[in-house]
Amino acid sequence: MILWRAGMRNVLRHPWLTVLAVLGVALGVAVVTAVDHANEAAQRAFRLAAETVAGRATHQVVGGPTGLAEDIYRRMRVELRVRGSAPVVSGHLQLAGRTFQLIGIDPFAEPPLRSFSSRFADRGLLTTLMTRPGTVLMLPESAAELRLERGATYPADSAGVRRQLALAGFLEPPDQVSRVALASVLVCDIATAQELLGMVGRLSRIDLILPDGAEGGRVLREVRAILPPGADIVPAGARAGALDQMTRAFRLNLKALSLLALVVGMFLIYNTMTFSVVRRRRLIGMLRALGVSRREVFAMICAEALLIGVAGTVAGLVAGALLGSELTRLVTRTINDLYFVMEVRRVPLLPGALWKGALLGVAATLAATMPAALEATGAPPRAVLSRSQVETRRRRLLPLATCGGFVLIAAGCGLFFTERGGIVGGFLGLFAVIVGYTLLVPAAVMLLSALLRPLLETVLGSLGRMAARGVVVSLSRTGVATAALVVAVSAGIGVGIMVGGFRLTVQNWLANWLQADVYVTSADRGGGRYRPPLDPALVRRLSVLEGEALVTLSRRVRIEGAAGGTELFSLQVPERTFLRYPFKEGDPARAWSTFRSGAAVLVSEPYSYRHHLHPGDSVTLRTSRGERRFPVAGVIYDYGSDTGIVIMSRAGYLANFADESVDGMSFTARPGLDLARLLELVRARVGGEQVTVVSNAQLRQATVEVFDRTFAITGVLRMLTMLVAFVGILSALMAMQVERARELAVLRAIGLTPGQVWGVVCGETVLIGLIAGLLSLPLGIAEALVLIYVINLRSFGWTMQLAITPAQLGQALLLSVTAAFLAGIYPSLRIARTSPALALKEED
Amino acid sequence: MAEPIVELRGVGKSFHEGDRERVVFRDASLSIEPGAWVFLFGRSGSGKSTLLNLVSGIDLPDRGEVRVDGSDLSRLSERERTLFRRNHIGFVFQFYNLIPTLTVEENVLLPLELSGTLTPAGRRRAAELLDAVGLADRGRAFPDRLSGGEQQRVAVARALVHAPKLVLADEPTGNLDAQTGRQVLDLFQRLLRPAGTTLVLVTHSGEVASLADRVLSIKDGVLVDAAGVPGAGA
Ligand SMILES: Nc1ncnc2c1ncn2[C@@H]1O[C@H](COP(=O)(O)OP(=O)(O)O)[C@@H](O)[C@H]1O
Ligand SMILES: [Mg+2]
Repeated sequence: MILWRAGMRNVLRHPWLTVLAVLGVALGVAVVTAVDHANEAAQRAFRLAAETVAGRATHQVVGGPTGLAEDIYRRMRVELRVRGSAPVVSGHLQLAGRTFQLIGIDPFAEPPLRSFSSRFADRGLLTTLMTRPGTVLMLPESAAELRLERGATYPADSAGVRRQLALAGFLEPPDQVSRVALASVLVCDIATAQELLGMVGRLSRIDLILPDGAEGGRVLREVRAILPPGADIVPAGARAGALDQMTRAFRLNLKALSLLALVVGMFLIYNTMTFSVVRRRRLIGMLRALGVSRREVFAMICAEALLIGVAGTVAGLVAGALLGSELTRLVTRTINDLYFVMEVRRVPLLPGALWKGALLGVAATLAATMPAALEATGAPPRAVLSRSQVETRRRRLLPLATCGGFVLIAAGCGLFFTERGGIVGGFLGLFAVIVGYTLLVPAAVMLLSALLRPLLETVLGSLGRMAARGVVVSLSRTGVATAALVVAVSAGIGVGIMVGGFRLTVQNWLANWLQADVYVTSADRGGGRYRPPLDPALVRRLSVLEGEALVTLSRRVRIEGAAGGTELFSLQVPERTFLRYPFKEGDPARAWSTFRSGAAVLVSEPYSYRHHLHPGDSVTLRTSRGERRFPVAGVIYDYGSDTGIVIMSRAGYLANFADESVDGMSFTARPGLDLARLLELVRARVGGEQVTVVSNAQLRQATVEVFDRTFAITGVLRMLTMLVAFVGILSALMAMQVERARELAVLRAIGLTPGQVWGVVCGETVLIGLIAGLLSLPLGIAEALVLIYVINLRSFGWTMQLAITPAQLGQALLLSVTAAFLAGIYPSLRIARTSPALALKEED
Repeated sequence: MAEPIVELRGVGKSFHEGDRERVVFRDASLSIEPGAWVFLFGRSGSGKSTLLNLVSGIDLPDRGEVRVDGSDLSRLSERERTLFRRNHIGFVFQFYNLIPTLTVEENVLLPLELSGTLTPAGRRRAAELLDAVGLADRGRAFPDRLSGGEQQRVAVARALVHAPKLVLADEPTGNLDAQTGRQVLDLFQRLLRPAGTTLVLVTHSGEVASLADRVLSIKDGVLVDAAGVPGAGA
């Protein structure tokens, strides 16, 4: 294949351009793969754990915040003779520095349901588990990892209390899948779990296997008949789907960001391939004259692209695997901060993510190559088509591209105003606007370089004029490079403004929401957003401070139901504090009396958005007295949970949920008492208990830190996109300079010094950077608006402030000029150093 | 009389530059017998290259008919014309136009590969041709290592390797000094005459006209036989 050899050698002839193109594909693929992997890994880990722990259960009996009375299980077994049923007590505890899910079971009731307990190695183990309190089982792998030995005793913390646990033996799951799922699970007898988790006499839930059909329906009705009002039967699948539901928007946001990196990567490939075709227009014309057919030219270009695409994809997958485990850590941390505690173990790159990345990399490369390949095919079979003719042909497309750009932008905007499009519609619209905007870039480049020409002329003289003209003359090069830079920089601006506005919003909200001076919660973070109750004795001890400070008691619980769970936050709050709450809808003064009595509730903004609730509507909650409707007295801003919360007064909670426990306390100093003294008083009364005592400032600080952590992954993706853009502009500029080597060599021959040539080239690149920076400002601001008012609203229902600071915009401008300048240094040095004679001789 | 290998009937061709029209051929007719050597003179810009493009099917006439080896090129599809070119025509350009990323040997072998005759016999022929043009030892070199004359000799070998019926040469000596130019023409003489290959050659140099069977020039958009040249008008 002599013809193909010519193509391949061409790829090798400009190795740095090829390497940059490969790098661009690799980075794009790596980011997409890594994000995909992280999302998948987290989702799979959760689903597996939920499924393994649920076993073959078809239904679950769930209770209120304090679970179910043990008695219900006894009645089900004895009175109703429901055979496929097993009680479960579960909670979190810390052992050897890791958070475990403790699952208390009844070994005799288990076999039909779950497999982790069906093969206890020996009867003796079973006896130990049931007769010796404080004995647990775990996976041998986990034990080995933490250097825990069978038979030994270790301290474990739960709900602020330290107890000794003995490792009685090992779990022996029947298959590899449950092994992965059980990595952070401890299994023990139900009595041990009740004791450890402070749930004596209570159960977390009862798992059931109901037969299909009429028989199952009958059992369901019978069981339901004996359930107390606070309990309910829900399908077992409901919980496993919880993560999907809760984190969908979060994952979608990540995915969109990762796709952006790929889009920028595609610009890079497009640029490389177009350049490679334009540079060889003579050669292609020659081949056509020799009788090489259009189809063969097309195939040759595509093969070249495929080579780059495959190399980039392979490199990208390797990098994606490395980046993937890091992103998995970030994603898991965010999920732990925002949603629930789970542990995701390191897993090799998932086949799904791998194939998707591979396909996307190769497909994106080929798609980005199409314009170039088509142009090559269209080249007439003679070697006379000049550079200027190519540019003229391109320029004729300019009005078309500009019109197309406006149409795409209009279409994208249309999507923003159709509520039905949802989040996906929002992202599609965003991408349409971005792509449409890039189509406007070439026209804008022409306009701006004409406008900036006088400036360059005054700074650099006639060399400046040459630089300005150079940008326009090779518009097919500079247009693409500028567009890629614009996309990346504007993404930076857009996400930056969004995160900045969000941060500011959260800070303002915290100022209204956190009004007390000192907060006390359990130190145990095993339950994620939910903390275990404080010791009642401690609550009593601290309540004595009533004389010195205003004391509030709060409790955050999750009410499980058939349609997933509802987060219920209850607190006893003074009127003065209540009136300062950040109300979005409703009137605090009017809401106060019904709220205090517990007759009405407040809902947070995301809750109101998701469930379409407004003052005057009502929320249905399953209380200990059965389902009850609570009128919504107001909607308040809350940025603590994106699924939304229902807020109830403590009086209402006590009356409806038969749970007197408290998991948080706050203290507001009365006049005359300073903060330091209050802290001292609280600390003194806490004594040796494992609780966190923080001041208002510390709590705000911690909340903002969580916020920043949540957006750390966004920052990483933003940086990677920027990196792809940088590689893009570097390769575009190099391509441009290689192409113009002859022209510049002529200048050298006429008598321009290397320094002057350098000046022309750098003037051009800086001009490109400046233009790209200017053009990215409107797009970046538009992106921020869309992110705030469309994407985030549709994802989470949050209202955010818009805060655009000149510093942010200036930074973006500086960034793009610097990137362009840096990217221009190497090529211009190279050009300035080449001997004029050499460059003149080179034919292609 | 044998069927002409190249035949133009009432060919019109013009180019548009913006809204201005430039007429290159108004009404050109021509008939070339197989094996004839036709040299084409004319001022720069008179349309010599355009004529070669029309004959090779690279370009199509606006009016009239171009027949090569019996087929009307206007009636062939773009692909058919390409295949026709690769199989039956050898091209030599003024600027050598070797593929810079292929070695000398590979450049010569390329037409064989394109026409699907990259056989041992074909390779032998390529080697013989390289030997004939005096570059047998430069087969592995890349074109940019060669001097202009050497490059043009490679181009001649490339144009002849697949034994085309018709060779088109567009100022093959235009970039060479007189002596090197004569070497190239000698090559044509040695390699084309015995095989009876038809040659259409564009040149500026009057002294080579004696090699031609027929000499043409382009005047005001028509082809005319240049008077006073032996063999003209045959
Ligand atoms: N692709 C083209 N577009 C416009 N004009 C062309 C094109 N090709 C040739 N011409 C014009 O046609 C005329 C003849 O060109 P050509 O055949 O190349 O002349 P020459 O006799 O020097 O080879 C010239 O005036 C040239 O400008
Ligand atoms: Mg010519």
